[in-house]
Amino acid sequence: MARYGMMIDTRKCVGCYACRVSCQMQNELPVEVSFIKFHEIETGVFPNVKNEIFAVQCQHCEDAPCESVCPTKATYTTEDGIVLVDPEKCIGCKYCMVACPYQARTQDHLTGVVEKCRFCVDLVAEGKQPACVSTCISTARIFGDLDDPNSEVSKAIIKYNAKPLRQDLGKTKIYYVR
Amino acid sequence: MVWGTTIAAYLFLAGLSAGAFLTSSYISRKYPKAVTVRMTGRFISPVLMGIGLLLLIVDAEAGLKNPLRFIYLFTNFSSVMTIGTYFISFFMLAGFYVALMELLKKDVNKWIEYIGVVFAIGTAMYTGFLIGVIGTVPLWNTAILPILFVVSALSTGIAGTLLVSGIVNKQVVHLVTSVKKIHLSLLAVEVFLIFTMFLITSTSNEAAAESVASLVYGEYSMIFWIVLVAVGLLLPIIVESLELINDRKMSQTNEGLQVAAAGSHSIVGTLVTEMSVLIGGFTLRFLILAAAVPIAFL
Repeated sequence: MARYGMMIDTRKCVGCYACRVSCQMQNELPVEVSFIKFHEIETGVFPNVKNEIFAVQCQHCEDAPCESVCPTKATYTTEDGIVLVDPEKCIGCKYCMVACPYQARTQDHLTGVVEKCRFCVDLVAEGKQPACVSTCISTARIFGDLDDPNSEVSKAIIKYNAKPLRQDLGKTKIYYVR
Repeated sequence: MVWGTTIAAYLFLAGLSAGAFLTSSYISRKYPKAVTVRMTGRFISPVLMGIGLLLLIVDAEAGLKNPLRFIYLFTNFSSVMTIGTYFISFFMLAGFYVALMELLKKDVNKWIEYIGVVFAIGTAMYTGFLIGVIGTVPLWNTAILPILFVVSALSTGIAGTLLVSGIVNKQVVHLVTSVKKIHLSLLAVEVFLIFTMFLITSTSNEAAAESVASLVYGEYSMIFWIVLVAVGLLLPIIVESLELINDRKMSQTNEGLQVAAAGSHSIVGTLVTEMSVLIGGFTLRFLILAAAVPIAFL
């Protein structure tokens, strides 16, 4: 049993959207639907300013708020800590979309099912990397087992002092370097 | 807006339906002679709840396409929506039973009616808890919201019942003075609750302050001040106060009593008040959903 997680280095991200496109390809999403959303913020005071780019997707929260509000138990967490939606159980009530602190969920209007990043469970089961990770041109994304202290991702999180977006909103499994 | 007008209408109808059921139960005890009002409340309650549920089903696209999935709604007890599904189910069963007995002119089993009363209150409160537990939206995430929704549910329930009763038989609305007094106090409480909620919530954090600002002087301020405050609250408070003063005057003179007994005086005031309360009730839900600003995560 693993506890899969990711580290995203915002200093390396150039905002090329390659991860978003590869995610759309992997999950066969229509153009207007994406599991990865880009947010840009400016910090600092002139002349010491910086523009940060955040690629935000499902943060795979521990005790995920979307899971506890889902009335049909369509949202669940796998043994490996990946938060998933069972498309056969989802009624499309959108309660999870309202509850998600990261606005990481979108509704597929063809099926009505609410979807989000799945950490590419199928690829990961084959021992491969999620599509967004393997496609990243600047290797800004590292994926692996957070419970394994020797995994590349665990080491990188410690090395770069990566942190969740908002620690006060509960534990998540995506860490950001700023 | 993830949840928009359809869900606002559903929240409004659920509250209205619960309020109408409670109104009719109160009327049946307090005014046994006000048959029209009692019957109206009992008939409109399950019908309005049914319309509300239809709206909900239409909004839940995946369920609409695969209706059997709705059975899963009963499975997750940590979700307020599941709890609400049970409340609404029991409330509707009791509501349909009471309406059916009324239709068949049979005696209503009082225990089933009491169960209905309990789940009607549950349904009205659930609409507030449903969005109240969402920590992501500070405007909703306040303990006062379920109370506001219950007060509004009772107020719209009385309004809906009296409006339809008035159209069916205009004499009856003057028989139920205590209901009007309750109604007036509910409206006053609603003003106080909205004021309290906005004042306290706006100080809690940035997102909450943004929500309140969009209502009070931003994007939704026209709807807020004109439709909700002026039409939905102040107008009915003024008209209803005048009506109650008038009722008192009429009951003090012989001519007044005759006019009241004949039912020949106008009920325009009542119709206008009740209609505006209903408009206000829907607008309240709509604004609370529309002005939701989620917390910033960056």
